[in-house]
Amino acid sequence: MQTSPHLYLYKGMQQVEQIPAVPGLLPGKKAVLVFFETDCPTCQLALPYLSALSADSAQVIGLSQDDEASTREFVRQLKIAYPVELDRELKITRAYNPESVPAFYLLDEGGRVQSKLVGFDKEGLNDLAKALGHAPIASSDDGAPPFKPGCSSRHLEPQVQSAGPRDGIHFLRRVAEPASRITLKDDIDPFEYCRSKFGDALPVIPPTVERVEAMVRAVGLAPESVIARVPPVYGEATVEKIAANAVMAGCEPGMMRVLLPLVRAACDERFNIHGVQATTHFAAPLVMINGPVREELGFWSKQNVFSNVARANSSLGRAFQLILLNIGGGRPDGIDMSALGNPGKFSFCIAENEEESPWEPFHVTRGLGREQSALSLFAAEAPHGVSEHTAPHGRTVLETISFALATVWSYRMCLVPEAIVVLGPEHAKTIARDGFSKGQARQFLFENTGVPVRYYSATERAEGTQLAANYKEVTIRGESCYQKFRSPEAISIFVAGGTAGKFSAVIGSWATGPAGSQMVTYPIPDK
Amino acid sequence: MAVTIVHPGNENAPKAAEPPPRLAGVAGKRIGLLDISKPGGSFFLDRLEEILRTKYGAAEVVRARKPTYTKNAPAQIIERLRAVDAVIEGLAD
Repeated sequence: MQTSPHLYLYKGMQQVEQIPAVPGLLPGKKAVLVFFETDCPTCQLALPYLSALSADSAQVIGLSQDDEASTREFVRQLKIAYPVELDRELKITRAYNPESVPAFYLLDEGGRVQSKLVGFDKEGLNDLAKALGHAPIASSDDGAPPFKPGCSSRHLEPQVQSAGPRDGIHFLRRVAEPASRITLKDDIDPFEYCRSKFGDALPVIPPTVERVEAMVRAVGLAPESVIARVPPVYGEATVEKIAANAVMAGCEPGMMRVLLPLVRAACDERFNIHGVQATTHFAAPLVMINGPVREELGFWSKQNVFSNVARANSSLGRAFQLILLNIGGGRPDGIDMSALGNPGKFSFCIAENEEESPWEPFHVTRGLGREQSALSLFAAEAPHGVSEHTAPHGRTVLETISFALATVWSYRMCLVPEAIVVLGPEHAKTIARDGFSKGQARQFLFENTGVPVRYYSATERAEGTQLAANYKEVTIRGESCYQKFRSPEAISIFVAGGTAGKFSAVIGSWATGPAGSQMVTYPIPDK
Repeated sequence: MAVTIVHPGNENAPKAAEPPPRLAGVAGKRIGLLDISKPGGSFFLDRLEEILRTKYGAAEVVRARKPTYTKNAPAQIIERLRAVDAVIEGLAD
């Protein structure tokens, strides 16, 4: 029998232990071994990235700590393109002894461990690719987080006698069990039952089997199809459960084509709904609708746009909140720890008044086509009104708005927040008439929003002062100020509201960027 | 007539993990302090470290800091803290 150099584990240059052969591993070639568990969400996230490497010169071998059936299912569902072997009785695992999985070992041509990586780490994966002379394999903007901790390796689990997935949520599956049916006795009022068990403190429409089925039929997907897993408890949002919440909120069946991408957008790692749902801050997800779907489903974009004016806005926003509550478990008397909350947690959905806007629609600014319906999600504070009825010039209107913008998060806090400026049509027209494009209006707001340096005192230690060393000092209206926002892109302009009344609104954010919540825009399929 | 509804909530409630055995004492132990990176956390944990060392005789205090309080700790930090006997996660504002 040929003795492969890979049969030994080395520490530095010293061979310390003979280890079981890794099936399929060829000597004389660099290799990546990756240990994984089939039900570990981090393994499920990480392993597909290596498929980009497998066609290259390096050998990639997956080593499953689980049984054959679940490993086959893992490989099939995640389209793993490299060989995967079962680590029976965890013999190879015990030799390498990773603390957690996924665990990646880069072996040189002689089978020596050159480097090791645990968990999901985009930078680490790209370093691994680089060491193999390969281009980066993990893009920073693919929706996955930069890093995610792994799970304890099976061989370190004291109760585990043999390899096999533990009980609990199976993160992999695309299809879940059907939702339970609850038959209420005649003496139980279904409205009161549903309000107390599944409501937003207000009565809801009971999600009877017939109503839910009508909602599901509007989708064309199996009722048990899993659309997303909703933080913070990662409940499986199946088509059927989304439909049940849509019924409760008063949606029409046509709303399902908006709700499915909305749930996916909310669970996009960039949006970080886990943090938005659990924070002590005011944030609530604001849904912004653009494109033909406004007309098709009756989304309102005019007077009272933030109010209780249209079934589409109110029921979509409410259904979304009920999904976060019932499936995601973000209960306002539990995991949702917001100190003061937000009235938007009943419903927070607006549409752009594209017809009265002098500029291209918001979703076009976000990179989609004009005829594409779209939704955008922003982790938002409540709207703060700005009245400006006397200024005749667009420049002055923008300046008035900049004073409100300076106060988001809190006055002295710069760089951290972002903001949505909801321009009323009258303000938008005045600003455009005076020659501002949308981009120029945003640039003006960026350059003219600041906080005077004289308001900062090291001894008072007011919030925002601790970051002052990072702030940029600029001169605004003759005064030395710290620039409020980190870039013009931190400000978004959205035109909405009625054509009478020179009002706009400024909406502050939660923590932003990769360390907080990033705005996401998703297309809504055509009907 | 009896009404039948479709369960609209999460039916797979996650199981809470069993807490590990409690330490009998801190003396001679390696204690991890995880700063979630909220403002003020370091002041609180600096003092806690001092108390753990001087008053309770901790053998070592391992300090780690999350890059952001809004998300889970990255894998590297979890790995570092696996080597200690107990971890105190510090919230502060």
